[in-house]
Amino acid sequence: MRPTSAALRAARAHFTASGNRRGLLVAFEGPDGSGKTTQRKLFKTWLQSEGYDVVTTKWNSSDLIKPIIKSRKSVRALSPEEFSLLHGADFRHRVEQVILPALWAGKLVIADRFLFTGLARDVARGLDLDWVLKLYEPLLWPDLVFYFAVSPATSGRRVTATRTPNFYEAGQDVTQVDDPVESYQRFIARVIREYESLALIFNMITVDAEQSIGEQHHLIRRLFLEGRQRPWSDWNADAVAEWLQQARNGAGR
Amino acid sequence: MTTKKARVPKAELIAVDGVDAAAVLADARAALGAPARGGISRWDASGVFQELAVADETAGAPSARTLLLLYAADLAFRLRWQIRPALAEGRTVVAAPYVETAMAFGRAAGLDPKWLTNLFRFAPRARTRRFVHTSPARRKKARDGFVGFSCDRLAAVRTKQERLRMVDQTAALLRRRDR
Repeated sequence: MRPTSAALRAARAHFTASGNRRGLLVAFEGPDGSGKTTQRKLFKTWLQSEGYDVVTTKWNSSDLIKPIIKSRKSVRALSPEEFSLLHGADFRHRVEQVILPALWAGKLVIADRFLFTGLARDVARGLDLDWVLKLYEPLLWPDLVFYFAVSPATSGRRVTATRTPNFYEAGQDVTQVDDPVESYQRFIARVIREYESLALIFNMITVDAEQSIGEQHHLIRRLFLEGRQRPWSDWNADAVAEWLQQARNGAGR
Repeated sequence: MTTKKARVPKAELIAVDGVDAAAVLADARAALGAPARGGISRWDASGVFQELAVADETAGAPSARTLLLLYAADLAFRLRWQIRPALAEGRTVVAAPYVETAMAFGRAAGLDPKWLTNLFRFAPRARTRRFVHTSPARRKKARDGFVGFSCDRLAAVRTKQERLRMVDQTAALLRRRDR
């Protein structure tokens, strides 16, 4: 939806108004086994103790699309394109139903994985980065993105210590390797390579996820306190304005 | 001694687009001719929209963008399991609907044409494109198919008049593409 100039003005005015604490979006990115979820939980608890109203959103979690993806994953029926498009739909629905309403209400949203997960995995599956990135338009840029960096060996060791990676997690749809552990090692190396490129391109804050949990947590706190003062990114105006128009049009429903 | 060359059947992808699903299907049958020539690939072969139809209302109404991402996922499924295999066997496939219906719906919903073009970049161009135009009275009744389904679910479409306007805009954009 091409946003009207009135919707763009309303979006900018809302997020740049002085006085109110504006909504903040913080994304945690990184491969499986990088400790994102542990850090997200610690960070959330700390933020709440600081008085923030926190909303968490996880990858592939929308009530509308998640069941569709789950049923197809269970029968291993997804091609890379279908995998990408369905996750893109799930992401869009969460942006519209969870993330933007919370940001508009001045809340702090922690995204446990964001669109960079889709980009890294889809490109590792052989899809074109430009095509995938445009699926996520209008883009919504987080205020801060923490990238939890681990080596493929560490990711593999941590993941396989407690469970066997599932078919798509192990990338067996593209590696054609029967052994999920061996497939995971190959696939995660590709995913990490993509993540590292994205971390550079999109200026993510890299956290050495091989450090202790405590060290990482204190680093995240410090970087958050520095980064939360950043001005609202005008790149987000289109995404907010589109949502605003939809929300207004559908208000009577 | 003379040898006769074996006749290789001609593979062809025919796209039939329109807002009235029943009329589109009838035209697809006519375009195919003899059933032995090939088959018809229809909307929601993957069952994505069937599942969406039974989703709990508390999950929230999808936007046009979300519906189009799902349409593209369904089309990727149809290409993988129906369209490409049939073409590889030298058979004719009628895709009913194909890309134009979804593009027109997206444009009627106000989405950027560049975004729509990128979304369907993976779909091969149809050798023949057919458009099915129906009367406003028929469009008013049409509830099946992607356009009817989507107009019934969009949060932005609140009244019967808004629904009809959306269907009519999609039809008008398809008519323009047919010129």
